[in-house]
Amino acid sequence: MTTMKLASARHPLLLPLILLAALLCACSTNVTVNGDYPSALTRKQPLRVGLVLDDQFSHYQFESDKDQTQPVTMALGESQVKLFSRVFTDMFQSSNTYSSLAAGNNQVDLLVVPQVEEVQLATPLETQLNVYEVWLKYNLKVYDSKGQPIADWLMSAYGKTQSRALKSDSEALNQATVSALRDAGARLVIGFERVPEIRQWLAERQSQSRLSQREAP
Amino acid sequence: MRQGLLCAMLILPLLSACSTSTHIDEFRMSSKQLDLNGGEKVVVMGRRHAGEYETEPDFIDCIGGKLAGGGQVPVVPEQQFLDSFYPWFEPRTAPLGLRRMGKMLEDPLIAERLQQVGIRYMIWVDGNTETTEKNGAVSCAIGPGGGGCFGFATWDKASNYEAIIWDLKKLDEKGRVKVDTKGSSYLLAVGAPIPFIAQVQGEACEGIGKRLQGFFAAGTSSP
Repeated sequence: MTTMKLASARHPLLLPLILLAALLCACSTNVTVNGDYPSALTRKQPLRVGLVLDDQFSHYQFESDKDQTQPVTMALGESQVKLFSRVFTDMFQSSNTYSSLAAGNNQVDLLVVPQVEEVQLATPLETQLNVYEVWLKYNLKVYDSKGQPIADWLMSAYGKTQSRALKSDSEALNQATVSALRDAGARLVIGFERVPEIRQWLAERQSQSRLSQREAP
Repeated sequence: MRQGLLCAMLILPLLSACSTSTHIDEFRMSSKQLDLNGGEKVVVMGRRHAGEYETEPDFIDCIGGKLAGGGQVPVVPEQQFLDSFYPWFEPRTAPLGLRRMGKMLEDPLIAERLQQVGIRYMIWVDGNTETTEKNGAVSCAIGPGGGGCFGFATWDKASNYEAIIWDLKKLDEKGRVKVDTKGSSYLLAVGAPIPFIAQVQGEACEGIGKRLQGFFAAGTSSP
């Protein structure tokens, strides 16, 4: 207390500044997204896939515009790594994680590099409802084992707060984001084989393996 | 004595006014009750595909609780079912009709899981509860000598839900229950706020839950 009195006597603006900073912090929402994602009920593709999760993806943090009345900071990286790793393990015969894209990887059939293209957020102040809405847009770059590009798949996901009687803003935002990530997982499982370029690559691979089986003595 | 009478005169009309009115419509494909044999279960699910509203998860839990009341109908919790079948019953992937459900059941992976979990009937609940009107205002103040609130506020709520029962074994619809509940709530503040809350969603849950329970033959389930 004595120290505080001394400090405020020396710097008269210090105390009001601390109070102002504390008030500003109280208005903003900071969330580290934390969710559990279930195992996907899907047939494993007979493919060895390398999932490239670079530093930018693993530590992705969304920050809303600073001039917004309700600024939001959302650490998404850890949770999206958890989701993608889980879904890829369920989708493919084998799935390994890499931190960077290395050309000429003979241990995999496909390399998938997810990137966060865009994150959009609607806060309760904007929606006039007691819910958050989250839109996630990913760009999944798919390469073959030689590093040749196969597809650029733009995949979007949506989620919103389900219960309107949540305790806090951060809990509501976390629920909306986990729901959007869950939707992203669903899109991955159902949509991956439907991407025309990937479908074509899979068909070519299948016909090649049939041909080599016929040619084998 | 006079003050007490005045209070009673003021409060009694409010108490009677915050009651709810419920209207239930029921449609059955057959007068026969639905059987549940050999560990067969029911799952109650909320529709969440529309952008402007979604059926509240706590309302689905409430119906599940009413249906399971006394252990007569074995009910699988919604979240447990969603996780077991991820990603096939998510808001944007769930089948909206029986034809699509039939297509999904052609996939042995989904059909086998359904058999493992033991789901025979799927009940889809669509609708929501919303505040339709708000009037009045209550203001509160605090000072060195104490604080208090003063004012009067009222709001109306309406619940509209429809439940559809699907038989996954025969792949047909067994019936529908539609419930409309309306109610007004009041907040009277003379010093301390006194709320008179109409349990609109609770009444809707009670109504729909009891009717759904009536579809199933009592005591036909075996653990």
